[in-house]
Amino acid sequence: MTEEEKTIEVKNNYDHLIAEEKNKHTVYCTKCPSKILSSTMGKHSKIQFNLPYMSQRKNFESVECELLSDYWMVPDMFMFDNIGFSKTVEFGLKYLICADCEIGPIGWYDDKTKLSYLALSRVKHAEDS
Amino acid sequence: MAKTYDYLFKLLLIGDSGVGKTCVLFRFSEDAFNTTFISTIGIDFKIRTIEMDGKKIKLQIWDTAGQERFRTITTAYYRGAMGIMLVYDVTNEKSFDNIKNWIRNIEENASADVEKMLLGNKCELSSGRQVSKERGEQLAVEYGIKFMETSAKASVNVEEAFHTLARDIKTKTEKKLKEASNPPKGGVQSSGHHLRDNNGPKKLGQGGGSAAALNWLSSRCTVL
Repeated sequence: MTEEEKTIEVKNNYDHLIAEEKNKHTVYCTKCPSKILSSTMGKHSKIQFNLPYMSQRKNFESVECELLSDYWMVPDMFMFDNIGFSKTVEFGLKYLICADCEIGPIGWYDDKTKLSYLALSRVKHAEDS
Repeated sequence: MAKTYDYLFKLLLIGDSGVGKTCVLFRFSEDAFNTTFISTIGIDFKIRTIEMDGKKIKLQIWDTAGQERFRTITTAYYRGAMGIMLVYDVTNEKSFDNIKNWIRNIEENASADVEKMLLGNKCELSSGRQVSKERGEQLAVEYGIKFMETSAKASVNVEEAFHTLARDIKTKTEKKLKEASNPPKGGVQSSGHHLRDNNGPKKLGQGGGSAAALNWLSSRCTVL
């Protein structure tokens, strides 16, 4: 089976990705082969957060966001396999990006709580190889 | 909660602007997808995981991110750094000449026993070479540090370079750990002597012995 075929299709319902509240599969970048998070390292978290779109319209003043509510909460940043952090935007908020191709934001990090949140809809879930 | 790694090393990338410090960090693709949105904000640091001798090592890699334009990097940036990648561009003579200034800056601000490595990067494939490999090697010998030429665009040696630096830090860390658990008989013995080969002209010997080693460990790294 190729890498493509192993990728689990992401639909609105994420139940098939969750096992005992954790990520059942390994989490990869959607654009490159970078491994972001090993299985069971993230806890499924229902939290509403306005995450800026990965591509923004040109010559558009304000940042356009998408309200997302399904995240993998990672309690310690060193639990990630590969991840990048943007500079602090406001109030201890940093955006998460792919460490290898720098696509993002794929999630956010709160410096006050030290918790990271990875958006389920912005990453790829695949079986452990 | 159980820790998911054995060692955590803080590494810095240092060198002039435009030498390709950032592209040294890309492993798979020639071009970053770096969207305007993210590049406007800037990147603080990256976390990478590597495996070595069955140990899981987390690397926290910081880019100077523009601070180098001011030709000096503050002490705060160096705090806790265990390894430094000095990067120059083989197609840019000036970036090579400035390595000496960067080393001086490191000696003034960073911990004395920080592991250093010199990287001659070739980021722009179209430009001609200005710095020969031999000159890079010679400078590295002069400072007693390791050297490698990398082509970030082709991912040549980039991973190897990080593994090499991580291995040197791991070796040093484990040596300090061992010394800390088996204090040498007869009291004070400088731990600096053993490590001098790796550190070239830089003097290491500040005190020594197990107390210093423990101190070093507790302040510089997380070991399980």
